[in-house]
Amino acid sequence: MEIKKNEIAYGEPVGVVTAQSIGERSTQMVLRTFHSAGITSEVVSAGLPRLIEILDARKKPKHPTMTITFDRKMASDYESVKEVKTKIEEVKVSSLLGGFEENLKAGTMVLDMDKEAMTMHSITVRKVMEIISHRFPDVELSNEGSSISVRCRKRKEIKAVRTIFVNIRAEMISGVEGIEKAVVNADGDLFYISTSGSNLKGVLEVGGVTQENIYTNDMFEILNAFGVEAARAAILNEMMQVFAIEDTKMNVKHAMLIADAMTYAGTIRSIGRHGLAGDKESVFARAAYEETIKHFVNAAFFSETDRLRGVAENIIIGRQITVGTGRVKLMIKNKDLEKIKAED
Amino acid sequence: MTKENNLCTVFFDGKHIADVKDGKAFAEEIRKSRRKGLISGEVNVAYIKRLNEVHVNADKGRVRKPYIVVEDRKSKFDADLKEKLMKKEIDFNYLVRRGIIEYLDVEEEENILAVMREEEITEQTTHLEVHPAIMFGLIANISVFPEFNSVGKHPLAWQLMKQAQGLPAMNFQSRFNARSFLLHYPQKPLIDSVTYRAANLEKHANGQNFIVAVSTYLGYNMSDAVVINRAAVDRGLGRSTFFKTYSDEERRYPGGQQDRFIIPSPTVDGYEGEQAYSKLGEDGIVEEEMEVNDGDIIIGKTSPPRFLEEQTAFGAGIDRSRDNSTKLKAGESGTVDNVMITETSGATKIVKVVIRSNMIPELGDKVGSRHAQKGVIGAIIPQEDMPFTKDGIVPDLLLSPMGLPNRMTFGHILEMLGAKASVIKGVIQDGTPFSRKGTELINYYGDVLEAAGFDRNGNDVLYDGKTGKKFSASVFMGPVYYYRLHQMTKLKLQVRSRGPVQILTRQPTEGKPRSGGIRLEEMARDALVGHGASLVLKDRMLEQSDKDTVWICRECGDMGYFDHIKNMPVCPTCGPGSKLDSVEISYAFKVLLDELKSLHMLARIKLKNE
Repeated sequence: MEIKKNEIAYGEPVGVVTAQSIGERSTQMVLRTFHSAGITSEVVSAGLPRLIEILDARKKPKHPTMTITFDRKMASDYESVKEVKTKIEEVKVSSLLGGFEENLKAGTMVLDMDKEAMTMHSITVRKVMEIISHRFPDVELSNEGSSISVRCRKRKEIKAVRTIFVNIRAEMISGVEGIEKAVVNADGDLFYISTSGSNLKGVLEVGGVTQENIYTNDMFEILNAFGVEAARAAILNEMMQVFAIEDTKMNVKHAMLIADAMTYAGTIRSIGRHGLAGDKESVFARAAYEETIKHFVNAAFFSETDRLRGVAENIIIGRQITVGTGRVKLMIKNKDLEKIKAED
Repeated sequence: MTKENNLCTVFFDGKHIADVKDGKAFAEEIRKSRRKGLISGEVNVAYIKRLNEVHVNADKGRVRKPYIVVEDRKSKFDADLKEKLMKKEIDFNYLVRRGIIEYLDVEEEENILAVMREEEITEQTTHLEVHPAIMFGLIANISVFPEFNSVGKHPLAWQLMKQAQGLPAMNFQSRFNARSFLLHYPQKPLIDSVTYRAANLEKHANGQNFIVAVSTYLGYNMSDAVVINRAAVDRGLGRSTFFKTYSDEERRYPGGQQDRFIIPSPTVDGYEGEQAYSKLGEDGIVEEEMEVNDGDIIIGKTSPPRFLEEQTAFGAGIDRSRDNSTKLKAGESGTVDNVMITETSGATKIVKVVIRSNMIPELGDKVGSRHAQKGVIGAIIPQEDMPFTKDGIVPDLLLSPMGLPNRMTFGHILEMLGAKASVIKGVIQDGTPFSRKGTELINYYGDVLEAAGFDRNGNDVLYDGKTGKKFSASVFMGPVYYYRLHQMTKLKLQVRSRGPVQILTRQPTEGKPRSGGIRLEEMARDALVGHGASLVLKDRMLEQSDKDTVWICRECGDMGYFDHIKNMPVCPTCGPGSKLDSVEISYAFKVLLDELKSLHMLARIKLKNE
């Protein structure tokens, strides 16, 4: 019974209803900007900008973030969660520096390591030196207390020296690339990690992290790591998340339709002229939307056929549209028709 | 530039003229002489401590404001002078001459310490404000009790004042304004301000005192609508006249031809028949006091033909001309008020005809008070059905209480109370900004009301006009000065079923002056699509718009035409004998296909049997 009641009628223009459902909420979001005093230090882009980001299928979200949870046993242990956090948080040479001096002419640089920062990330001077010498075989390293002297083996142009030095300072010492920051948060007595920056594949390789307990808001990462079905679920989830943060509700079926439409081609496509709308079958519908001349010229050039099956093209030429009452046709059996004729 | 000698620089009208040792004392000296009348009162002096400079200004174009001088903790404008001023023995200029009131410019204001009220004077005080209301300009001072209203409401209130109908000019009868309004019975407001009287605005009143009850009426006054009393309307409440001027000119054309104001003769092109010109006088212009309706010709005019070819085609000698008369615009009617014939500087004759029409308040007309409380008339109710008090007072207007709390226009409420006291006392009450405190006003008005047997809070016991039963709640009631604003139904109402269409697309025109249609906009269209209402959509998009029948060739798919001589459709590309089908499409689509053709893109149409 319940299923029957919620069944959608034949010819119902679900796309338009979805568009209206999302459109109404977006206008509300513009009018009422929601400010929440952040307790956690993570920055999440929310509201309309995030929604547009999802629908446009931007390759990189403005604020990529990951959430890593653990099974019950591990999550209640703060120390082990923190250990994972230190493992994934990206540490660069520059973030361990108290200061540095470089002499580009002589090809030398002195890196003054910050002891506090080193202990915080549990990194030793030796380890830093190891990594640098491994990555840059062209330089000679020597150690004096907490400072490292770097010297180029061969005389080089100043420009090349500078490039090397800049690269040394940007060299990653530990953690996962792209995870700019990681914070341990608590949900009741269970700890979890939220990060700013996202690298799904990198984080998965870290011990203690399982793929069941990891989430990122970057749908392309999910697409690449888990495939299109997971990406569909990510789009769905992210979209509902936007409305949940704004404290409005929308039927999940609308988000599902959007997610399906964006992913049915096997990859994530944007809504708009470079994605879905640009792939419409009808020449007139595309021309009515954007870049009119381009579509007409191409249609003429490749001798396209418009079968007039959509809504927009039928409105343009003035025919009944093919949804709702315009979709059903009346049929009559031949013998009934004869009967009616006979009665007349 | 550093000052080495520690001298104070003196500037006169911006020019360096001297240096003095003690600038402050020097400035004080000038001030003293000015108050004594030794030097002109138009001289202002300022000592600027930061720069150690004295600026003396006597040039034109400085904005100055009057202050009462305070000396030794005492206002120089004492009780004695006050009495003399009240008796009109002395005037304001006397006080200025005697140095009791002085005008200060912006620079000198930096040197003084002024207080608002006499009680606030301290040791350091040098000046006293003449009145707190002086801080406002003319327009702000016209508002009553503005200090009780929300700040944001004031600009809106002035906006309404601009739209009010009133007595715009005493010589309205001999004016030829393009559009103007005249309120028939303007009244002085029961509460006004000093500035209002000083500006003589009571002689140009632009509103009427409506008896207002803050009450609902069956939902006819919800969300800013108001209910008004039919009997009050019949007695002339809010009644006004609308004047509109039509004008036309006898133009001269190259070749010695010119227009002529005349009753067109039947030989003229576009002659509309004798009946159409029946309202015109023998000079071709409509007679004064003639009743005219829309479409009536009010200025008869003939013009020479538009193209010279026409003249040669029909042979020279015959002076052909066409009818170019002025008609009353669609939806307008009235009486001819005034006709003027004169000449322009180019010595061509021009005619101006003023049409006057009576504007009786009706549903949808806009009214508003001086506190940005505007609304449209939602119902006009017969007096019998309106609520009434035990004294038989029936309100002119019912205002919904829901419009008051959100907007915080307490001035409106205070005006009702004050105006009620004003009516009882028979004296117009003062509502000058910041003249008295709210509690003071309420107590004063309350005492007046109580003495006359009214409730001191301004509430009245009302009886339902329909049943005669007493309302269980008492209703706040009092007079409010209302404007009748110039947005009126009669000037805006327009309907269309069929009418003019655009030439290019054959879709209906847009806007009232072209008696256009109402557009079904994009989002409304989406709503119809979303409902699946395909036939409604087709009706709006095709049937009521630019439906057209075109012939499509079965062979080439291009558009053909119907040859009415041979009585058969023809395809120009496939020649005679081609078979064509008729299809109903939007004319705009046909234009689109034609334009694509002009770009060498042919869209072939293949028809399927349906």
